[in-house]
Amino acid sequence: MTKEEFLTVSNVCKSFGTGDSRQEVLRGMDFTVAKGEFCVLLGPSGSGKSTLLNIIGGIDQADDGYIAIAGDKLREMDEKALTRYRRKHLGYVFQLYNLIPNLNVKENIEVGAYLSDKPLDIDELLNTLGLWEHRYKLPNQLSGGQQQRTSIGRAIVKNPDILLCDEPTGALDYNTSKEILKLIEDVNQKYGNTIIMVTHNNAISDMADHTIKLRDGKVRKNIVNDHKISAMELDW
Amino acid sequence: MKSPLRKRIFREVRKDWKKYIVLTLLMAFMIALASGVNVANDSMMAAIDESYEKYNIESGHFELKDQATPELLEKMSKEITIYEQFYKDSVEDFDGDGKEESSVRLFKIRKDVNLACIMEGRLPEKAGEIAIDRNHATNRKIKVGDIIYIGGEATEVVGLVSNADYSTLYKKNSDFMFNAVDFDVALLEENAWEEKSLGVVYEYAYKSKTELKNDSEKKEFSDKLMEHLAVLAATGGYTDDKDLAESARNDQALMMEILKNKDSINELKDFVPEYANQAIHFAPNDMGSDKSLVGVLVYVFIFVLAFVFAITTSNTITSESAVIGTLRATGYTRGELVRHYMLLPILVTLLASVIGNILGYTYFKDVCVDLYYNSYSLMTYETRWNASAFLVTTVLPCILMFIVNIVVIYRKLRLSPLKFLRHDLSTSKRKKARRLPSWRFMNRFRLRILLNNMGGYLILFCGIAFVMLLLAFSTGLPETLNHYKDNLGGNLICNYQYILKNYEDEEGNEITTDQEGAEKYSVTSLETIDGAHVGEEISVYGFTEGSRYVHISEELKDNEVWITSPYKKKFRLKEGDVITLKEKYENTSYEFVVKGVYDYDGGLAVFLPQKNFNKIFGHEESAFSGYFSQEAIHDIDSELIYSVITLDDIMSIATQLDHSMGGMMDMVAYVCLIMAVLIMYLLTKIIIEKNSNSISMIKVLGYENGEINSLYILLTSIVVVFSALATAALAIGGLYVIFRIYMGSLNGWFDVYVSAWGIAKMILILVISYAIVAFFDMIRIKRIPLADALKNVE
Repeated sequence: MTKEEFLTVSNVCKSFGTGDSRQEVLRGMDFTVAKGEFCVLLGPSGSGKSTLLNIIGGIDQADDGYIAIAGDKLREMDEKALTRYRRKHLGYVFQLYNLIPNLNVKENIEVGAYLSDKPLDIDELLNTLGLWEHRYKLPNQLSGGQQQRTSIGRAIVKNPDILLCDEPTGALDYNTSKEILKLIEDVNQKYGNTIIMVTHNNAISDMADHTIKLRDGKVRKNIVNDHKISAMELDW
Repeated sequence: MKSPLRKRIFREVRKDWKKYIVLTLLMAFMIALASGVNVANDSMMAAIDESYEKYNIESGHFELKDQATPELLEKMSKEITIYEQFYKDSVEDFDGDGKEESSVRLFKIRKDVNLACIMEGRLPEKAGEIAIDRNHATNRKIKVGDIIYIGGEATEVVGLVSNADYSTLYKKNSDFMFNAVDFDVALLEENAWEEKSLGVVYEYAYKSKTELKNDSEKKEFSDKLMEHLAVLAATGGYTDDKDLAESARNDQALMMEILKNKDSINELKDFVPEYANQAIHFAPNDMGSDKSLVGVLVYVFIFVLAFVFAITTSNTITSESAVIGTLRATGYTRGELVRHYMLLPILVTLLASVIGNILGYTYFKDVCVDLYYNSYSLMTYETRWNASAFLVTTVLPCILMFIVNIVVIYRKLRLSPLKFLRHDLSTSKRKKARRLPSWRFMNRFRLRILLNNMGGYLILFCGIAFVMLLLAFSTGLPETLNHYKDNLGGNLICNYQYILKNYEDEEGNEITTDQEGAEKYSVTSLETIDGAHVGEEISVYGFTEGSRYVHISEELKDNEVWITSPYKKKFRLKEGDVITLKEKYENTSYEFVVKGVYDYDGGLAVFLPQKNFNKIFGHEESAFSGYFSQEAIHDIDSELIYSVITLDDIMSIATQLDHSMGGMMDMVAYVCLIMAVLIMYLLTKIIIEKNSNSISMIKVLGYENGEINSLYILLTSIVVVFSALATAALAIGGLYVIFRIYMGSLNGWFDVYVSAWGIAKMILILVISYAIVAFFDMIRIKRIPLADALKNVE
């Protein structure tokens, strides 16, 4: 089945520092992601995957090349347009959750809903996330997994086109990690969002539609997974 | 949908309620003060404005040497309506011990002009009754029903009044300062007044027949009027043309014509138009300056608090940087976040404004009104609600809070979402940490804390500077007054300066005295035309050769003079300068060259040899004005004496200032102490909270509380003591500047004096305040849990 091309990464280069301390993090990356695809950016530490995710998210800029979402090039957008782009199209999930400490679970999700004209039903989402009973708890009263589920809720409540996940299981134990991955898988299937997940965990690529392996700032392999398995079947 | 972030606001307040209560209360207190002063001021000003019509206040008054004949009065009444308001000066004795305790000006009940406002009791109806000034009565603890002795006669106080033309009790318009302690204006029933066998002062009040709109019109009118009245008086009503009158000196026929009105010939002794009458205008002018002073204080203070808020918010932004990064990454705009972080300071300011205004309109208004009633003889008033007070106490503080916070918060939130996500909020381009001198580790650690918290410590410095300025006032003012009083006696010219009505009696014999040590001198009053205070009265003394009272041995030529040290300081004069002084009611001016400075704190004066004095002012060689004497002179008929100046008269400015402000200064000192504690509490709390993770971490590493205190508390203590020392100097400098400006609006001068003990006291109050705060800070540090450093969450 041929899928519609949604995200284009074309010859993206990025370096940090100047002179002797200059470090090339991305050295001309090229790949595309289809709409509704679950794509994993896999690579060891320092391979440039988080930098790439930030550029896709419009919070960092490429030195060269471009990123296009449904044909719109990010580098042609000014700051306001980028904010609008993030507001309309993107959801973000981070390794350390970044929840607002003095808002409860439901309110943290409302923080995402506020940005959308047509947000998902929050109560239904709380049930989907398994957070209904915890909806009035503050972040410091939750486990790591519950906090990450809340942060996923905050990201998807506005039903974004793309959900960017930066090592979402990096701070979680094995079982909780699998639960979170299952949740992301469910979200992908239920709402049809394109998911781009950065991880250094090889096993996760087995549940993805598409894996891009990175090393030293370059795409080393671009694998389409025809035999993906469910998150709960993963093992590492 | 409303931003869900708003729900954080009340939780933030609940979590840190102590801080927000302190901030709200501090702000509410200052706003209440401003509101109280504004409302009291505006209500009182409205009452004063209305009093012109209600009590028919004069357009001015003048004094003649003798009672004017009906013919003269008729001539004088061309442009004005004239009312007699003769008075008699007497003395008050409150306990009947025969000792004169205060002077009193006795009027008949005035029925046409300058009416009295009855504050308590009633007006006198028969002999033996008197209505005295309400303010003077309060100062002297006299109540309605009390018996006081007027010129030795027992008189019952039946009423306390405020006279519209004596809202400030100035005995003479040229007086250094008003004196509501030692001077009273009282009303007697008409016959009772007539029966008093005292010298009459022939004062006439007048109302202009044309309406004069502003001070410049009033001045133009009164300048002309004064000249006309002076000429009419001198010519017995023959003419008001000055040139014509002067030509009579050489025109025998004209002189004869004028002398036909011999009975009407008089002399204009004093002329005070309403706009220049200190007794009418000092109180409203002073109240106006109070309003501005309190306004400035409130704004400075709210500015400091706005920075406290901005620093608090800035720290919150730092601690929430990952959340902010996430929100920005998911599409929250910078504007939405700026609005969110701005909300709390604005809400607190609004709440403080509401509380402050309620307190201002109720409690503080009364406090301010009492302060005004304590100084001035003001009439009754009604509380006025006004828009300008609302602007000053609500709108402007909110704007100030908004501007300071928006600048700080916008700058802070200007960074990219990525920088927030990386907790990289430094705007400095510096890549490496600043290199520190090779001190001991703990000292370097402290220096590092200082550098990392520079913003907080700078605001602490500003807060301390503000408190120190108030402390400088509260300790400096009483010390200045005491120093002035203590030193004045030491360098007076003499204990008694007698001024005679004329140096010759009616038979043309020179008035002499056998009093040992009495010495003739001459004196007149001129006024300044430029410099620090235009229209300031300068006494010009002519001293005899080899004078035992004025020690100037230098040979002075015609127009060479010595000036007193206060004159030199107030007008910033130096030797060689030329000063120009003019006659009060004429255009004649005189130029003098300053040859030396005479050490005499009793007032602004000029000294020159008596022979030069007589030459310059066109007097006969043998003329003189009176006698200097160390002892009271008893062998000159009191009818021949115009006035006597004693130490008490010269000291009246200090006495009155001490009375008006002395009590308030203690209150200011206590308020300073409380404000110092609260400001330091807030700022040190912010600094400790910002460093709580580091403190927790070093606890984990094994540092003891004592060592942690020696890092954080000792550093803050050093900053506090350093700030106290540095700002003490700044505050005293500020006090000098403010005092100079204040004295510029008054007649007279005295130096600001703050003793070493005064400065030590200011620093001590601040250090004690900090000791209280440090105690709570130590508890706060002790309570920081070790777990903080190990937490992975925000």
